[in-house]
Amino acid sequence: MTTAPTVAGPALATAVAPRPPRPRRRRTPVTWVRGGGLGTVLFLLPMLAVFLVFSWLPIVQAVVMSVQETNLVTAPVFVGLDNFRAVLADPLLWTAVRNTLWFAFLALLIGYPIPLVAAVLMSEVRRFKGLYSALAYLPVVIPPVVAVLLWKFFYDAGPNGVFNTLLGGVGLGPVPWLQDASTAMFSLVVQATWAAAGGTMIIYLAALTAVAPELYEAAELDGASVWHKVWHVTLPQLRGVLLITFVLQIVGTAQVFLEPFLFTGGGPANSTTTILLLIYDYAFANSLGGDYGAATALSLMLAVVLAVFSAIYFRLTRSWSAG
Amino acid sequence: MSTERGVLSAFDWRRPRVRRTARALHGVLLTLLFVAGLGPMLWLAKAAVTPTQDTLREPLSLWPNGVDFANLATAWTRVQIDRYFLNTVWVATGSWLTQLIVATTAGFALSVLRPRYRGALTAVVLATLFVPAVVLLVPLYLTVVDLSMINTFWAVWLPAGANAFNILLVQRFFDTLPREVFEAARVDGAGPLRLFWSIVLPMSRPILGVVSVFAIIAAWKDFLWPMLVLPDPAVQPLSVRLPALQRFVELDVFLAALAISTVVPVALFLVFQRLFLNGSALGGAVKG
Amino acid sequence: MRSLRSAGLLAVVAVTTAVAATLTACSGDSQDNADGKTVVNVTIDPGLEQGAIDAFEARVAQFESANSTIDIVPKEYKWEGTTFTAQLAGGTLPDVFTVPFTDGRGLIERKQIADISGLVAGLPYAEKFNENIARAGSSDDGRIWAVPIAAYGQALHYNRTLFTQAGLDPDDPPSSWDEVRSAARQIAERTGQAGYAQMTSGNTGGWMLVTLAYAMGGRAESIDGDRATSTIDTPEMARVLQTLRTMRWDDNSMGANFLYEWGTINQDFAAGRIGMHASGGGNYGSLTAQNAMKPEDYGVTVLPLADDADAGVLGGGTLAAVNAKASDAVRAAAVKWIDFYYMSKLITEEAAVLDAKTTADSGQAVGAPELPVFDKATFDQRQRWISEYVNVPLEQMTPYTDEMFDQPLIPEPTRSTQEVYGLLDPVVQAVLTDRDADVSALLRDAEAQAQALLDRR
Repeated sequence: MTTAPTVAGPALATAVAPRPPRPRRRRTPVTWVRGGGLGTVLFLLPMLAVFLVFSWLPIVQAVVMSVQETNLVTAPVFVGLDNFRAVLADPLLWTAVRNTLWFAFLALLIGYPIPLVAAVLMSEVRRFKGLYSALAYLPVVIPPVVAVLLWKFFYDAGPNGVFNTLLGGVGLGPVPWLQDASTAMFSLVVQATWAAAGGTMIIYLAALTAVAPELYEAAELDGASVWHKVWHVTLPQLRGVLLITFVLQIVGTAQVFLEPFLFTGGGPANSTTTILLLIYDYAFANSLGGDYGAATALSLMLAVVLAVFSAIYFRLTRSWSAG
Repeated sequence: MSTERGVLSAFDWRRPRVRRTARALHGVLLTLLFVAGLGPMLWLAKAAVTPTQDTLREPLSLWPNGVDFANLATAWTRVQIDRYFLNTVWVATGSWLTQLIVATTAGFALSVLRPRYRGALTAVVLATLFVPAVVLLVPLYLTVVDLSMINTFWAVWLPAGANAFNILLVQRFFDTLPREVFEAARVDGAGPLRLFWSIVLPMSRPILGVVSVFAIIAAWKDFLWPMLVLPDPAVQPLSVRLPALQRFVELDVFLAALAISTVVPVALFLVFQRLFLNGSALGGAVKG
Repeated sequence: MRSLRSAGLLAVVAVTTAVAATLTACSGDSQDNADGKTVVNVTIDPGLEQGAIDAFEARVAQFESANSTIDIVPKEYKWEGTTFTAQLAGGTLPDVFTVPFTDGRGLIERKQIADISGLVAGLPYAEKFNENIARAGSSDDGRIWAVPIAAYGQALHYNRTLFTQAGLDPDDPPSSWDEVRSAARQIAERTGQAGYAQMTSGNTGGWMLVTLAYAMGGRAESIDGDRATSTIDTPEMARVLQTLRTMRWDDNSMGANFLYEWGTINQDFAAGRIGMHASGGGNYGSLTAQNAMKPEDYGVTVLPLADDADAGVLGGGTLAAVNAKASDAVRAAAVKWIDFYYMSKLITEEAAVLDAKTTADSGQAVGAPELPVFDKATFDQRQRWISEYVNVPLEQMTPYTDEMFDQPLIPEPTRSTQEVYGLLDPVVQAVLTDRDADVSALLRDAEAQAQALLDRR
């Protein structure tokens, strides 16, 4: 039987407060159990078990494996920094780094402004707002594998490929899409943007609705034009979300795997091989056993680079996001 | 509180230039969204019932030589999309349950039961958010191999539970629940289990909805991890099986298989739209 | 105390769940079931039609009635290089599985398959294996660790319908690389489809480059005792790349899509988008069953060989191997199964006829070209036995079958084969997608990397 909480609370407190001083309770296992400690631990068991085996230990293992030579059959051998040296000496690594940076850059160029512009426009829609959101989010719901396989067909480089037929309809020549090193990465970024933009748009939309109307009214009193309002009120208010989205996009695109793997397998001629694809090749592509040491060494190096980047980024933008 | 408005004020809307520009831009945006969002799906639906040669020769025309519904039947039976679909459902259900159990129990313990070591534990859990998934790939894989979980669904379910983001969401939500309810229940003699099951969980439907949506979408989309730990075709979900399938199936049947694979996620989305969109927004807010 | 009781309940639930989870996870295959029978897990191809599955089950039943102490359990499995070591370490590999020739030597060297050479030596036909073919499954000292169950040579597949549409005679396919080039040009000009296509990714690029290099008289590596030298930067290899480059850029006869591997090139070939391509000689079955190729479209001829004493055809095939972790009892049973299911149809009339009949009844191809695992006499004998069940258009394949025995069969390179193939993928991709690709620089780099690989072992 519960009484109205707000009444019982303070009343309870005042009733209990004046207590005679007691000797301090000794903390023993029994008192811990009686105090509900065991119950707490039992509630924490699922999380502890799962995190220990599938998160914390593997992280430690990653560090350990990066200084060992492992195959799955014999015992691992300590090899110091050899794995790191071998990875840094691999010419394919620098190709992969370049490609990953290029992907991240293109994704920023194409994929960062589009959701923002679309969200600002969408926030002004007065009728059928739900339709806009639903249409925008639809590509996000489609399983990525299906989307990539579908786009792979769209990207057929012959004159009868879907996109080339569309382009041909307006008089533009067939584009090699995935079959040429100069257009392959761009094709990947376009599809990746298509698949992810909707989610970012929704996030921006939510942040936009949180902008206080008083700010706009104040700007209008100062005679601000529409463009002025967007530039001086909307965007600064969105600063926090924009900064977070930026860093999340960088961290995400640095780990891109699905698109290069399914679209081109890293080709043509390694022009879409990314760091994750390289890690996968080190660990899993060789039918006779992978080089797990090299794979973990490279993943650790990537993690450190991303951590340093995030740290520098947050330091630099601390003053900006103070709004 | 003033009326809802965005950048444009009521006055702005009355100005004909602004109104026309806004309408035009919205029109363009809507068209683009239709083409980009709906276009590929409609094309896939069309191609799923088109014979191979027509799709190859005239990809944009509508059934120049008639419809071929047999594609769908072939995809369902010969290519056994139904089996892989069921596997996907299994994978999603198990991951969802695991994530719910781990997140709610941990969130409850950290937020309501509040042990002394709460701060340290939360820090260790949150620290995993800063470790990119790539670091875990190889050691987690070897862990799964060592535990003989290859080709079992546990290899996908259990690692999915190690999701610090869920715990963060749930814990924050539990933090907002009124403490007085718990106090009152405790006074009535409710133990932690009773408190959890009968008090906290029923009050947590919104956050459980958000966590569930994230969990199911993530499980449905997962590709690399299931590909590594489920090499046996009999247990592979759709996302893993479809690329392999492409190599030994005709194009029209393959496109039909792709179309079938999109029906459930899209249907779920259309039915639970609000949940998806709100969840996505909430996730963004938390990250911000 | 309430809190204790509910805590206790929670503990019970937690422990039960944990135990149940561990039990389920650890439910590996036991090697002996309660009846005391030896359990052998054997492979069946995934994605088979019901008729083929029924035929397989019938064979299993036959074997079990003849061997009452063995229990055969079929498992769907397809050789996948990326998951093999994990399945081996994780214990989910079947006991008997098939491996392509390319991976055989590597597996043997790393002892990742069981040494069944003693058991194989006990088979009645152990001495009769074709030497070249047996080498793919043998260790360095010549003992057979994996049994060759099928062999093929590379051939040139072509689409008869496209030939006819282009004004070429489908019964007179190209017999030299110059003729391939002109036929490709004609097909591209008259039909708009790719005249010739080449595999380039997933290690098949290197596989095909080496195939064509063999056809020009080159090799990929030379072995001298313990030392292996990479021979990629050679005139023959350069000639292959030049031919491809001419067809691609000067003639524009290779279409617009280049990132092909075995499955996707089969798909486009079956769909009538490719005039000619090189691949294993026995592909007719998969082209018709899996890619729905129309039988009347199919034609195959021998791979044109250059006028060079060393020119030859790259040979491939399939090996049957036993899991390295299998116990002795399982190994013995496994070899019996290999003998019964894979080998007996090659040397026993009854088994050959039964196999051909069930294959034909389930709608699959019987009689697609293949090469002898034993000697030619045994091979011819088998062909006579199954002749009434042959359901492939043999007349369309005569350009290949008439000459295939006359071509020298050369085994694949034996050291680091897949890795060397993988190195060559970007080389051929670059030649086909970059007009300004520097062939000699590409070959030089590839050879240096391959040599580093060979030296590392």
